[in-house]
Amino acid sequence: MEYHPLPQPGEIEVRVREDAMGAYFMMFATTAMGLPLPILNLVASIIYYYVNRDKGKFVQFHTLQSLYSQIPVTLLNSGLVVWTIINFAKDLDFTSFYWGYLIMTAAADLIYFIFSLVGAVKARKGIFYYFVFFGKVAYHQVYRIRPEHGPRTPENRPPGY
Amino acid sequence: MRRSILKDLLILLGVFALIWLLASLFNYPEDPQLLSVEKEENLGESYVDLILMNPLFRELENETIDSAVDVIGDRLKEGLKHSDYQYRFVVFESEMINAFTVPGGNILISSGLIAFCDSPEELAAVMAHEMGHVEERHVLARLIKELGIDILTSGDQYVLGEVTGILSSTSFDRKQEEAADRFAAELLERSNIEPRILATFFRKLEEESDNELMKHFEIISTHPNFGSRIRNALSYKPADDFEAIPLDLPWEAIKAEL
Repeated sequence: MEYHPLPQPGEIEVRVREDAMGAYFMMFATTAMGLPLPILNLVASIIYYYVNRDKGKFVQFHTLQSLYSQIPVTLLNSGLVVWTIINFAKDLDFTSFYWGYLIMTAAADLIYFIFSLVGAVKARKGIFYYFVFFGKVAYHQVYRIRPEHGPRTPENRPPGY
Repeated sequence: MRRSILKDLLILLGVFALIWLLASLFNYPEDPQLLSVEKEENLGESYVDLILMNPLFRELENETIDSAVDVIGDRLKEGLKHSDYQYRFVVFESEMINAFTVPGGNILISSGLIAFCDSPEELAAVMAHEMGHVEERHVLARLIKELGIDILTSGDQYVLGEVTGILSSTSFDRKQEEAADRFAAELLERSNIEPRILATFFRKLEEESDNELMKHFEIISTHPNFGSRIRNALSYKPADDFEAIPLDLPWEAIKAEL
């Protein structure tokens, strides 16, 4: 599988770097905004992605990396909110599994926060910074060279093909 | 690349699953499991000794009363089948209508409560309720929550004194009370005592709820909403082959000894 060559830091314009950095800070802002209902920040992030995806592959990569890494964090946070509400509503016990889940979610939030902060700083410097898993997915999606498909013309073949 | 992405994903899922598992297995500071039953029993002995030294909780040394309480206790223990605790029931002299649990399977019963009960089965219901708190380790959980395990096990005399103060005015939350009620109903049934006697006892308490003598009684002080507890106790359905065997005790004669 082939990929587009990566631009070097000196080749990326400051305005583009700032837009890429903005992707991470946008996620922070929407995360804070969406805390009561974590799914809201995901919607805001998706809008940010669509608004900025025409600004070049560098911006696209960072925006996608930030968006993808936010999805599991949002799902974990939403799960926590739902679990907590159910526990209160049905007067259930806060089991050790619940506390374990809460700690895991807090760990995910913290890791997401640290990675995003580093990602923002690197993006501002015009550097590619790859998150575990999400970095590769974003790179693969943005920089993969897709085979060009021209307009399809019917092709006649002998039988058996 | 795809293989590398998949590997990353598996690593990520594995790490977070491990965090969840380890964090779930961790014993949180309020968990009564942090203290073994043996240690709890040792602590409990010290508490009982200290409580009984207090003039407000002087042990009532009356053979008739003690043996009657033992008869009831033995019936309940038979119904319990298995327990980690060696139960000890102590009657103390007090007009107050009260019974409370001390860690390690010690249950203290006031002479006022015995006088208040119209039948040995009513007393059995209260004792079964307290045994529920013991088996579910509610007292220990509350002490650990309030004092922390380090202070609790420090053995310091001053701390012991404080703990005894907390114990005699123990109150539990609604869920713990409901769990103890449920436990009591099941235990009473297994002990061939009518489990719905709990409802009768609660109704009597409700009627007397303005009585100053029962203001320290954990059953009433914790959760005065008797309506739902009476309903729960009455809705308990014993098995079809359940047969109540009366406790063969001359109750009025026993009460006359008080």
